[in-house]
This record gives sequence, structure tokens and C-alpha cells, in this order.
Amino acid sequence: MKVTEPLIDTGQVDLAGFDRALGDPADPAALLSFARSAELDRGERFPADICRELDRMGLPSLYVPAEFGGALTRYDELVAALRAVARRDLTVAIGHGKTFLGGVCMWLAGRPEQARELGADIIAGAPVSWGLTERGHGSDLLAGETTATPEPGGGFRVHGEKWLINNATRGTLLCLLVRTRPEGGPRGFSLLLADKRRLPADRWRPLPKVPTHGIRGADISGIALDDCPFPADALIGEQGAGLEIALKALQLTRTACTALSLGAADQAVRLAEEFAARRELYGRRLVELPHVRRVLGEAYAALYAAEIVSVLAARSVHTLPEEMAVISAVAKSYVPTRVDELIAACGELLGARAFLTEVHEHGAFQKLERDHRVVGIFDGSTFVNQHVLINHFPVLARGHQKGTADEEAVGRTADLSAPPPPARLDRLSLLARGGCGFTQSLHTASGELRAPASAGEVPARVAELAEELTNSCDRLHRELALIPPASQDVQPEAFALASRYEQCFAGAAALRLWLHNRTPGEDPLWLEAVLTYVLRSVRPPGQPTDGEVFDRLFDARAAGRPASPPTSVVTW
Amino acid sequence: MNIPESAPSDTDLRSWLRARVAHYVQLDVADIDTTTALTTYGLDSVYALILCGDIEDHLELVLEPTVAWDHPTIDALARHLEETLAQGSPSGESR
Repeated sequence: MKVTEPLIDTGQVDLAGFDRALGDPADPAALLSFARSAELDRGERFPADICRELDRMGLPSLYVPAEFGGALTRYDELVAALRAVARRDLTVAIGHGKTFLGGVCMWLAGRPEQARELGADIIAGAPVSWGLTERGHGSDLLAGETTATPEPGGGFRVHGEKWLINNATRGTLLCLLVRTRPEGGPRGFSLLLADKRRLPADRWRPLPKVPTHGIRGADISGIALDDCPFPADALIGEQGAGLEIALKALQLTRTACTALSLGAADQAVRLAEEFAARRELYGRRLVELPHVRRVLGEAYAALYAAEIVSVLAARSVHTLPEEMAVISAVAKSYVPTRVDELIAACGELLGARAFLTEVHEHGAFQKLERDHRVVGIFDGSTFVNQHVLINHFPVLARGHQKGTADEEAVGRTADLSAPPPPARLDRLSLLARGGCGFTQSLHTASGELRAPASAGEVPARVAELAEELTNSCDRLHRELALIPPASQDVQPEAFALASRYEQCFAGAAALRLWLHNRTPGEDPLWLEAVLTYVLRSVRPPGQPTDGEVFDRLFDARAAGRPASPPTSVVTW
Repeated sequence: MNIPESAPSDTDLRSWLRARVAHYVQLDVADIDTTTALTTYGLDSVYALILCGDIEDHLELVLEPTVAWDHPTIDALARHLEETLAQGSPSGESR
């Protein structure tokens, strides 16, 4: 479908219209169809036509904050839009959405006129890339060897290679992290905006596209700079502030990347549901088998947990910016990991069809499974994000003990009836010094369930689950306080604690979401399922989980009863 | 902001910082030299951010989390903190 008027524009973000315009991927005539995606993937070709169409719909303006001329005023809208694209084709979402990542440092630290200029380029459809990593140095940003030497007359001379960079070749502009002090160190790096239209053509060259297991069509490549002159105004923020700005930018990009996982989960669930509904085995349809119902019910619960973490993390940019170091690390570690598990579970249901490249929607499942693998790796791997969380253990433990949470801000994050206040990017901090409000306020949240539970308005078992989560979270924080500092070798036990922390966060977020959006008489089935799902991973051994709630969740969805959290936006 | 009467003296502050750093890098206090870059002891840049929370609690100040990046030895950090205490916290607020 051709669109003439942009659906996303300054002052107007029509997400429902955008989603409709993207069409049903099962329809080969849709803009993003399984058929077309499979063909591009087989040929390892970049989905350039599709990206151009997304440009026409106005998606790039959602990568630019309104103050710099774009349409971005709500990070939850950005998550919803990227999810809508990812639900059809992850390669397209990663190839197009990269421009948001490329721009973020400028939004955080650029001069206003510099930021408006980049905003105008993005809205006009120029892809922007973000070059952090180098050959031999992935996540270790301080090891970067690309050097920018300040020139006597102003400007810089840049030498080195950035490699494994999404859109390095397609990008008209690249935001580069470069070493500006020979000795390096946390103040030894700066950010430069490389505008290929202005750099001398003989001083830089693209590095070849790297073949990849998933997102085969994506432009994963690099750039080599050979003493390339950069003008003084290419600098983003202060000289020496590069690492600080990049680490804050990652808090936003990691949050946004969780949308890619949600889209992948939506597609995996849909493919598994349709298969189970149609497929007959030994004279029965697959969905009639108890095991199949259980697996799908669990997949819904996993998707809801991931979705709640992702959406509330995006809203936290507006309401809890000081906590984003923790919240973004939790989101980027938790969401892709849960979705990898969900995809594996759906894959088992699909059996051979998860493995074949041409049948069942043109082999969409095996493509999505391959494509999604990269989400847990890029923009800070799960390991890196858990490391951020582990670094925060002392402040998390202290904050939990003191109970310094801003309960009102936590409530504003979870209350979807009100638009979030404007984002305060200037309040992002590398240290969430007060810990995390969601987990700290679990006591209040589970307390609020007690009265309706004793009045019979809420099933007693839901209040019991909330109580169990609260106790488990307290126990976890006592363990966090005892673990030795993680400045050097992090013990494997610390990663296990980080995973438990993430589950507690997910449960706390779900509980808050229900409390602040509930309608009288509503069956809190989704909450019960999410709490059960979360608790299963944090229970001490020997306490088995009764998965019967997942069967009820499946039945409710199959019967068309409302059973989704209010964060759900899937419309196909 | 008023400096509390119990504001730690120069030596107190240095030895407290030494003890915190020793704790984080799991070394003996005697092995921590106040003129050596903290990174030498394996306190990497990102982990050094955590020191900020400790110092804020101890001195009741609000600091930039990157304080140990800009003042990378215990001596430099102590000097900076003493100046900050003398002037009131950098943003003029206290907690």
C-alpha cells in the first residue's frame, strides 16, 4: 500500500494507522510480507525499497526529538513503532531503526543548531549509523584505537577502523567514538559526527559487508579512515566526554532495542498459534493437546512479562531518568533473553516447520529465530548489561534497605491513562544512586492488593503471589548486600543474582501496571500468569510451580476474552 | 550548605577513601597508595562510578558520578572533595 501523507509527523503520531499501513505479512502484496522478506534474506539483500516506504510514512521523524524538529515526544511510542516493524521483519526494523541509535548522542550532547541539522537530515531519509566497536574490541569501548588528533587550526585528523557497524556503508552520517588522548582513559574519548558528504573521498572507505547468520540482508560493515580531516564542528559535546555521553545514550538505545524482541515474540507466537490451530495429529488438532495449550499459555505469559518491562522502561525515560542505568540494563538483559526462550518453545511446537526455509509462511520462523539471535548481542550484550547491574548491587542493596523510592514517579510510570511528562534527558545518570523504585516499592504494591483480596474482589492466590514476590525480593537484596565487590573478576553467582533481580523487577512492574490501570471486576488473569512465570525462576529448589494458570490464560485468549495487560498493542 | 561539625578532616577523608578503595578492589589498605591512579588497582572506569554513591552517603554531598574519572587518585579525589565541602556541593544542593 502506497502512502502519500506521512502517518508520523511533528505533532501527529498515528501509530494505529502506521500499523495498518504496514499490512498483514501473510499477504504477499503487503509492504512487509513474509514472501518478500524471505526472498531478500535468501539473496542477502538490504530491504532498501521497504525502508524508503517507511521513510515516506514518516518513521524517521520518530527518531528525532520534537525540540530538534522531529515527532519524538514519547519513548513508549518509539517502542510501539519499532515493534510494529519488527513484528513483520526484524531485518527491516534493525536496518531502519539504527538511525535512532546513530542520533542519540547528538540529542544528548550536541549544540541545538547541530542537533536540528542532523534532525533535518534524518527526517529527509538520511540513514545515520553509530560507530562504537572495532576489530578486536567489542564491548571494551576504552580499548578503541581509532584516533582523532586535534589539528592546530581547529578540527581533527582521524585514523583507524570502526568495524561490525550496522549501516556503516549505507549511512550518510556516522557518529563515531574516537580516542582524543593518546593514553585513553574515561576522559580520553570523544564523539565526532562523520558526514560522508563533507569528508574527502580519498581519505575514507567502507569496509565490506560481513556475512551473518541472521539479519542476512542488513548492512553490517565498517569504515576505515586514513588520516581523514574532520571539521571542528563535527565534535558532539565536549572533547573528552565521549564515553560519558555514549554510556548515557546506551540507556536510551538499549531500552528502544527491546522493541525488536517484542516484535519477534509477536511473530513467533502468531506462527505457533496458527500452526497449532490448523495442524492435525492422530486425528486431533494440535491445540487440543494439553501440552500444546500449556506451552502457548506460557509463551503468552513470557511475552506479557517482556512487554511490561519494555514499555515501562520506555516510560521511565520520562518519569525515572535517574534510574535508567539500572532500568535499561534490566530491560536489555531480560527482554531478549526471555524472547529467545519463547522462540525456542514455539519452535518446538512447530517441529520441522521451524527448520524448513520455504514452507509455513515462506520459512518465516527459522528466519526470525536467526534474526533475533543478534538482539541479545548488539548494543551491549546480555553479559555486558548484567555487568552494569552487578556494578549497581551496592546501591540497589542500600536503596532497598533505606526505601528511598519515589513512589509517585513509579506510579506515573505505570499509570497508562496519562501521557508521561516530557523526557528529561539531562537527568540521565551513569549511576542510579538511589537504586530502583519499582523493586523498592514492592511492599507498598503488595500491601495495596491485601484489602481487595480480603474483600473478595481479587483472588486470594494473586495476593499470595505478590506477597511471595515481595519476600523473595527482600531476600535477594540481603544477598546482594553480602556479595563481594565486583570490581575485577565477577563470580558466576553474581550473574545468577542479576537474573533473579531482573525477574523481581518484571514482577514488580507487572504488579504496578495492574494496580494503576485496573477496572472494577476485572479478572487479573494476566497478572496471575506473569507473577507465576516470574516466580518460577526465583523460587528456591524444591518448590514446584503449578502451571495451571497458563492453561487458563490460553483458554481465555482462545475464547476471545480480554486477557492481555494494557500495554498490549498488537492489532493484526 | 553548612559544613557539619563532624566534617572529616583531611587525613580522615583520605584514610576513609583508602579503606573504600581497598574494599572494592579486595586488597589490604596498606597496599593502597594515595598518589597512584585507581585504575592501577583494577578499579575500572565504570566500576569507579560506584565510589560516588559511597562518598555522597559519607559526606552528604551530591556529586557527579564521574568524579573519580576527573580526579583519578585518592589524593586528587580528597582535594576535590575538600574544596567541594568548603564551597558547598557543586550544584548548591545538599541532601
